[in-house]
Amino acid sequence: MTIDRDRVLAVLDKAHSGPVYKERDFNLKVVSRVLNETVKKYGLANTCDPDNPISADDELADRYYQAGMEAAVKIGLMCRDTNRVIQFSEEEIQVALEQAPQEFWLGEGDQRVCYQHRDPEDPVLPVWTVPLSIAVTEDVFLPLVEGLARIPEVDALEGPSLETIWGRPLRSGSPYELLAGRHQADLMREAIHRAGRDGMPMDAVGSSTTHYGVLGGYGVPGGYRPHHDLVLILSIADFWTSYESLFKLAHTCNCGGKYISASSWCMLGGYPGGPEGTAVACVAYGLLMVAAYQGARSGVPPFDIKYMGNCGRRAQWALGVSNQALSRNTQIVVHSINNQVAGPGTKMVLYETLVGMTNMAVSGVSNVVGTRSAGGRRTNYLSPLEHKFGGEVFKGAAGMSREQANEIVKQILPKYEDQLKDQPDGLSFQECYDVERLEPTPEWQRMYDEVKEEASQLGFPFK
Amino acid sequence: MGDGLFERLKTAIVEGDDEESTAIAGEIVQEPSEVVGAVEVAIQAIREVGDRFGEGEIFLPEMMLAAEAMQAFMTEVGPELEKAGGQARASGKIVLGTVQGDIHTIGKDITATMLSASGFEVTDMGVDVSPMEMIQAAEKGGAQIIGLSALMTTSMPYQKEVVDLLNELKSRDDFYVIVGGGPLTAEYAQGIGANGWARNAAGAVRLCERLLRAAEAPSTATFVAEEK
Repeated sequence: MTIDRDRVLAVLDKAHSGPVYKERDFNLKVVSRVLNETVKKYGLANTCDPDNPISADDELADRYYQAGMEAAVKIGLMCRDTNRVIQFSEEEIQVALEQAPQEFWLGEGDQRVCYQHRDPEDPVLPVWTVPLSIAVTEDVFLPLVEGLARIPEVDALEGPSLETIWGRPLRSGSPYELLAGRHQADLMREAIHRAGRDGMPMDAVGSSTTHYGVLGGYGVPGGYRPHHDLVLILSIADFWTSYESLFKLAHTCNCGGKYISASSWCMLGGYPGGPEGTAVACVAYGLLMVAAYQGARSGVPPFDIKYMGNCGRRAQWALGVSNQALSRNTQIVVHSINNQVAGPGTKMVLYETLVGMTNMAVSGVSNVVGTRSAGGRRTNYLSPLEHKFGGEVFKGAAGMSREQANEIVKQILPKYEDQLKDQPDGLSFQECYDVERLEPTPEWQRMYDEVKEEASQLGFPFK
Repeated sequence: MGDGLFERLKTAIVEGDDEESTAIAGEIVQEPSEVVGAVEVAIQAIREVGDRFGEGEIFLPEMMLAAEAMQAFMTEVGPELEKAGGQARASGKIVLGTVQGDIHTIGKDITATMLSASGFEVTDMGVDVSPMEMIQAAEKGGAQIIGLSALMTTSMPYQKEVVDLLNELKSRDDFYVIVGGGPLTAEYAQGIGANGWARNAAGAVRLCERLLRAAEAPSTATFVAEEK
């Protein structure tokens, strides 16, 4: 089924007729207040257990789901361009959940990939999409993406992000983005071809987060394919949307597109408050992603503003419980993101990956996009090897019990958590790889081997 | 008057009660000799709030409410403070915004709140602000600092454009330019000709204080990076 135009129109109508708020009042009097009240009402205060970052409490996950549903109905989505809140009733959200696919296929030929709902501890293998939209220079783009596509554990491609196009800075919201959308599709397809993986599914458009990139690259001749690729709608954090996201929704509809990836962030320490409020917010916002954007894959991970990542204990706890809440209580394809802060060429990025990807695999997540190498702070600071490790962990952890995963994670967290605020950038792609042969340097390979061995010693079941 | 009232003032700010901080200000202005001491208590209270936020002990809503309580208090006592020879604003003026093509707000909001809480007069321009709008707002408001937030690699070029425009307008020495945001590094900030970069909001406050304290001409000022 393609994107439903009547539902698109209903959302646009709500964006122009919902209740009006000033920005401050929506953030403080609606988002913050509702989440506080909901945490109290459902007895969720102080349920975060940093000593056990992966919860195995089904009843707790279900309470978070109920709280999240109530919060979704009471908060809604604030549209920045109209200052009106797009509100949904519980019935409308339920209908949207029922209409969302439990599974769907992307890609072509022998590279087709099945995205399907997973439950916590599900042995079904999840889908691994790489990399995030981290900036790279034009000379690095093709070899890097080829190196990523060669990894057998990688199922689909999203980033990276072009820093320039034909030598010009890629400026957000400018006509350069329109050209970049199509240009990126060409480059991605060339890299996939070089890797021998023609037909691999892609997310449109990795380089550009505004609608112009999608308008220029999705559904146009030679661009991203409406029936085989996803459109990325990355809404603004903490219950905000804008015309930018709604343009992407309308364009996908116009193109006869079938699949939208709808996601955002909830800021731990921001308007949702602590880990409990943030977990409720992640569930609520995740539900709104399905209702507002018809997300085929949907989800909202937490992001700790203390260190701008989510591999610390409180964020991991919120990540796990919110994903369990959604995967236990719906049949949607749950999407999530691991936000490392360390860069390639460090053991820390592998430890962060081991913790986050294990957590998401056992918490019912169907698809993750990663790795946030070096926190996405530095141009060219990502390499294929940490992405290979991410896929091995994500798929290896499928079927593991949450209790076993929690025990492993507890052993790994102390190896890096004191560095979450003092983040090692590591090395650039050119520094930790032989770019021509697409092989890691011996030192980077040694770190990978050692961390993998450490994980195996702890009982991690690499497949 | 005295310790009891000062204690109430501290509590009002820490708890983000702007009605109470306004009421206390009303009592304090009746005793002009107490104004300077009260302002010192208020500044100490808001710094404690900022520290607790930095440590993750309290969250953004609490800090914003505390900043609003502080602002309400300062608005009331400001005229009396100036009469007493003190400065209604302890620090400086900054125009802050998220650059053109970028609608991310939370990093800019936190920075605005912490700067405001630290005594800066902050003009928050919101999001998706064009380079020329930023410059014109800084000129109009008599700001010393222009602060530019970007969360997307594709919006970062607009930070450079502000610096370039200031150079072309021969206004570079009118403002310090500071930049921040998730994908930025100190090297990038220095490379585009900004005067400083901070990793987070607390660092942005220290950065602004350092730039104004050093008082070097913006076009030749030593670049300042606040890593922590």
